Amino acid sequence: MSVQADMPVMRRSSRLSRTMLPYLLSLPALLVCIGILIPFGTAVYYSLQRYRMSQPWNRGMNWGENYLNFFTDPDFWNTLQVSLTYAGLTVVLELLLGLGIALLLQKRSRVNNFVSIMLLMPLMTAPALAALMFKLMTNSNFGILSYFMQLAGFQDFRWASSPDTALLTVILVDVWVYTPFIMILLLAGLRSLPTQPFEAAALDGVPRLEQFWRITLPMLSPYILTAALFRLLDSIQQFDIIYAMTQGGPGDKLMVFQVEAYLNFFQSTNVGRSAALLMILWAITYVLSNIFVKNWLRLRERARGEA
Amino acid sequence: MSRIEIKNLAKSFKEDAVLSGIDLDVPQGSTLVLFGPSGAGKTVLLRCIAGAIEPDSGDVLLGGASVSDVLPEHRGIGMAFQNFALFPHMSAYDNIASPLTARKKTGDQIRKGVDAVARLLKIDHVLDHTPKALSNGQKQRTALARALVSEPKVLLLDDPLRNVDAKLRFEMRLELPRLLSDQGATVIYVTQDYREAMALGDRIAVLDGGHIIQNGTPEEIYRKPATINIAKLFGDPTINLLDVVPVSDASGVHAMLSDRRIQLDPGLAGYAGKECVLGLRPEALSFTDASDGVPVTIEAETPFNEKSVTLVTTLRKREILLSRPSGTPAPQSGTVHITIDPSDAVLFDRETGLRIDPNGNNQAAERAA
Amino acid sequence: MDHMSPLERILRAIALALVVLFFMFPIFWIVLMSLQTNETILRSPPSMAFVPTFKNYAAIIAGRLDSNVASMSIHFMGNLMNSVILSVGSVALALVLGVPAAYAFARHKFKGSEDIAFTLLSFRFAPPLLVLLPLTLYFQSLGLANTYVGLIWVYQLICLPLILWIVRGYFEDISPDIEHAYRIAGHGWFATFRKIALPLAGPGIAAAGLLAFIFAWNNFVFALVLASADKQPVTVGALAFVTASGIQYGQIAAAIVMSIAPTLLLALWAQKYLVEGLSLGAVKG
Repeated sequence: MSVQADMPVMRRSSRLSRTMLPYLLSLPALLVCIGILIPFGTAVYYSLQRYRMSQPWNRGMNWGENYLNFFTDPDFWNTLQVSLTYAGLTVVLELLLGLGIALLLQKRSRVNNFVSIMLLMPLMTAPALAALMFKLMTNSNFGILSYFMQLAGFQDFRWASSPDTALLTVILVDVWVYTPFIMILLLAGLRSLPTQPFEAAALDGVPRLEQFWRITLPMLSPYILTAALFRLLDSIQQFDIIYAMTQGGPGDKLMVFQVEAYLNFFQSTNVGRSAALLMILWAITYVLSNIFVKNWLRLRERARGEA
Repeated sequence: MSRIEIKNLAKSFKEDAVLSGIDLDVPQGSTLVLFGPSGAGKTVLLRCIAGAIEPDSGDVLLGGASVSDVLPEHRGIGMAFQNFALFPHMSAYDNIASPLTARKKTGDQIRKGVDAVARLLKIDHVLDHTPKALSNGQKQRTALARALVSEPKVLLLDDPLRNVDAKLRFEMRLELPRLLSDQGATVIYVTQDYREAMALGDRIAVLDGGHIIQNGTPEEIYRKPATINIAKLFGDPTINLLDVVPVSDASGVHAMLSDRRIQLDPGLAGYAGKECVLGLRPEALSFTDASDGVPVTIEAETPFNEKSVTLVTTLRKREILLSRPSGTPAPQSGTVHITIDPSDAVLFDRETGLRIDPNGNNQAAERAA
Repeated sequence: MDHMSPLERILRAIALALVVLFFMFPIFWIVLMSLQTNETILRSPPSMAFVPTFKNYAAIIAGRLDSNVASMSIHFMGNLMNSVILSVGSVALALVLGVPAAYAFARHKFKGSEDIAFTLLSFRFAPPLLVLLPLTLYFQSLGLANTYVGLIWVYQLICLPLILWIVRGYFEDISPDIEHAYRIAGHGWFATFRKIALPLAGPGIAAAGLLAFIFAWNNFVFALVLASADKQPVTVGALAFVTASGIQYGQIAAAIVMSIAPTLLLALWAQKYLVEGLSLGAVKG
């Protein structure tokens, strides 16, 4: 070893600079986000105000009045009902469909891998654009889906333009876009399940359907719960698909929280009511996201533990 | 210049005290083996010295100067990790070269330095492989080469032979002492293998439960273990431990084994009548033809390469292991007699587990001092 | 699994075919539409027999829509460009801000680090309009209303949490000993970050960046609320285009195809990277 060893000069560094380092590293990200927290504070403030942009003279604090008004406001109850129905139906449909597809694709094979890659495509499509695609396909003049409906005997099936089928139409788009998300998560879960319980059950001659109910489903339940909560969080806030498809119509059939708040703000310029609506939505998502994050972290820990 | 001193060092993670009251002094150029069971805090202590973690209190001095404000990269230490900690995305060459590039050596100096240490450790043929393509033995040598290449004055080796196969471990145990003395560095070597500890250490510090429970030469640790635990950790087969109550009378101090007296050091008179544990190394026992030996019954014999181990039982059915060099004759079965060299017998206080020093000052007193 | 009856095999094949049909058909049909003239689109019953034409694409690229009634100019290419600028800009900024922060959160459990990380994560789940509506008023007074900078900043709401949480997981997976070894070898923390942590977390950073790009590209509501007409990305532009172009269905379809093609191709090209990010880290690539 011909390299001369030389003891590097022992440079001293202050303890302070070392403890500051992590703060310095995360500071830029924090500053950017603090800028986002200020408008959040503003929203809280607006929600406690009587504030219409069209009547600036009438602006003033009215404290909880915007919230109190909701109790007697049929529009609010409609919004709540539509939002919950939309979120509930999409999550249930996507879970069932996603679980079914994941089970179909569970075995690793070239066909299955190809299909699961293909299924990424809807998920990669912007939801707003997906809504436009379905709008074209359900056009009453030339839409292919309208044509299929005609073939099936439904004359004049008007999809999103009819109050009876509007909800069904936007749910269809949501299912098309987001089922693959649930499928991917459940497929990952299915493929990570240990094989021993299944081998043991097969040896004992347990029927496949019973294996599914007694082994697969319980073991998969953390994944199902995580996927469901994540989708629920997104779905209750759905804006893109509904706004691009019908802007909340026909009538108030699809007035979910964010669409209603958007229209309140920009069309009726009722800033106070809009902010209060969003605060209620935020409270719902806050509770949901806390439950979700807890489940998600547990799931992630497990995945990392196994890796 | 490179003496390592540790003063009253303590470290805890959350509520768990991992190390407390650690004092060590490793003179320049010597090797201290840090020995102890897993979870004793050996690795944590090494990391405190290297600067990878900060101790809660206490001080680390290198060459007489405190390094508590010196960042790890400026401490000039070479360290080999138990799990090798090779950089997975770099070739073995770049791994080994990393301390030299940090010291701003020229390309030529780096090449010469890496080649020399790689030849020494017989890995010069795999230098362009990534760690993934190396065998465990090659990984271990690469990690060692990386620690040695900058000829650091302080070397910290964290159980470097732990994860290699038995053959390589045997070879390295022979090679390492020469390698380390050639380096002339001050070394702290962590191991869980008492043979490695005995072979490599100028001194051995036994760490258990976050404390140093004994610090001495290998000879001292082996012959005068501070506690029953240490006595059990060193030696294979493990030391025989027999519950006895020493008796003091006109003929001196003794303990009874198979109705025979085992003569003990007269200095132990103060422990007469107390519950004690007698420690007898298997190799301190031998068969004898003389009928005044301790009568025992041979139960089983296990031949090893270099020694044979015999299991015998006393009249009260207490089991004792005997070890003798292979090839030496011995009775095969039945009732035989054994002799015990009293100077090899160690007495422990059964209650505290501490060794009783015949000269009166027992280990507990020593530690308190 | 191995002892499937022929009937089960057939049923599975049919189910799989239906799944592919349902999820691929809309994309397939829109592509077909984009290659047709209004005359063939409006035929009844619809038919797949037609002579493909690229006139729709040509019209969009040229920026002139000619119908039999009138001719009007559009700037859909401008929307496409805006999408590129906004997505690339947001991901770049999110990487620059998020990767060091992710490293700090992964390596240094400093005081309040978990709280801060969770606060950042919670942005992902809060209703975006809650922040966006007040922001419209601030943007006016801050002079950000007509700028890419303002939009890119707000896009951090989606990009930053994503990058932070995915990359943090990858940093945590690197054995701290490897970094300690590099430090002890004599390299400073920044060299260690650059030469050890960054390359080893590379796949995670790529995955997070890719996902962030796709989410930024697909975002609709941020730009709808905040972007002026000349800064709108394709998602908002396409909606305006539908209203403006009236009955030029082939051109609408072509615009949609051009808007979704970048993310679809990106996903096909890098699908391996995507799956872990999409499955919320519940699977280790």
